Amino acid sequence: MLLHVNPSSGVPIYLQIEGQVKQAVAAGALKPADVLPSVRKLAADLGINPNTVARAYQNLERDRVISAVPGGGTYVADGVPGLLKTEKLRRLRPYARQMAVEGRQLRLAPEEIVKLVQEELAKLGESL
Amino acid sequence: MSEMMITTDELTKHYPQVRAVDGLNLRVPPGSVYGFLGRNGAGKTSTIKLLLGLTRPTAGAARVLGLDPRRDRVAILERTAYVSENKRLYEWMTPVELLRFTRGFYTQWSDEAVAKYVRRLEIPLQQPFKTLSLGNRTKVYLLLALAQRADLLILDEPTSGLDPVIVDELLRVLAEGHLAEGGTVFLSSHQLSEVEQIADWVGIIDQGKLLLEAGLEDIKNEFRLITAAGEGLPAFGPPQVVSAVQAGAFWKYVVARDAEAFAARLQQQGATITDVSPLNLRQIFLALTRKEEPCMPGNGGERTAAVSSSI
Repeated sequence: MLLHVNPSSGVPIYLQIEGQVKQAVAAGALKPADVLPSVRKLAADLGINPNTVARAYQNLERDRVISAVPGGGTYVADGVPGLLKTEKLRRLRPYARQMAVEGRQLRLAPEEIVKLVQEELAKLGESL
Repeated sequence: MSEMMITTDELTKHYPQVRAVDGLNLRVPPGSVYGFLGRNGAGKTSTIKLLLGLTRPTAGAARVLGLDPRRDRVAILERTAYVSENKRLYEWMTPVELLRFTRGFYTQWSDEAVAKYVRRLEIPLQQPFKTLSLGNRTKVYLLLALAQRADLLILDEPTSGLDPVIVDELLRVLAEGHLAEGGTVFLSSHQLSEVEQIADWVGIIDQGKLLLEAGLEDIKNEFRLITAAGEGLPAFGPPQVVSAVQAGAFWKYVVARDAEAFAARLQQQGATITDVSPLNLRQIFLALTRKEEPCMPGNGGERTAAVSSSI
């Protein structure tokens, strides 16, 4: 099973599912045209509410990470998510802020914080 | 928006000693799992009895499946499967006899579902009821409820006595059966981790009053714990501040919404915000229902110990 959720984490379950699918796509673990489990199947496997899975899938479809064929299953979409640049930046900014704050608290130099991100990007690059 | 499965309008039940239900306004959407949460004696079971027409309200009204429990009790019970809190009925029967006895009352009854749930929930069928453990009694009542294939399941503390493996299996069974078919579950509980896994709506009740009713994921997106350091910070704030607790130089605020705005306001008062973090359902429940004494400098440390042990 690719996905797992922690209902008591404080992070809404649908966001956990969205995050894991996006991460799997970004890391190449899920490739275009790969099949995702149906809403019913995933809800039953995880013992969670089907509405929650449906919400995650709707958001992923809106972000063009996956595409659903009515009555024919859900697939990983082709190509890059078609979001506007400003929207992409808006979504990423909270993580950048968190990196900056935590890095500052740990007394890391700005270059060291940036270098960490670059290293993570490099790791993703190898697997694409 | 389609019609609500359950609505109550200022629903009230007073007993001579207590206001068990006190002006309750519930909205339970169709297809939802509604976690009805409260401490012992908060009014959960009294509310359920009013919804099923098992007792009459002192004031206010309820509608269940569009019907009035005061007049249409039988029609409601035909379309609603109910697992009561005390799980005590027909002590002399075995589960098999109880199933045979019950199936005739329900037009939607499914023997196929019975066979599946007996296997999945590991239910002993041949033992007399009075010799069953609480967990096994609970399972039999859940089985009776699920086999009715009712539109609405009302479950009062459905997981009492069940071991974690069976609870997990029960949640899966609900997700792939009743919920996948569009059914609604109204579930009273104080097992918050289970509710958190399966519910998409929660109502939190205390002393007969509704403290909060909202989509669970929305609550989790909005509620935040803000930790701030500084002199002379307020012991209470705007209405969205649910609780404020002092621990030495720090204050911990639980806010129901607009966390960023409140944090900015604290900063204007000279505070340093050291953390803003999300809360799980248990933490939110505690923040809403815990009886706080006024925050005195003397009890600050003790109070925080109690809070942090729950986090």
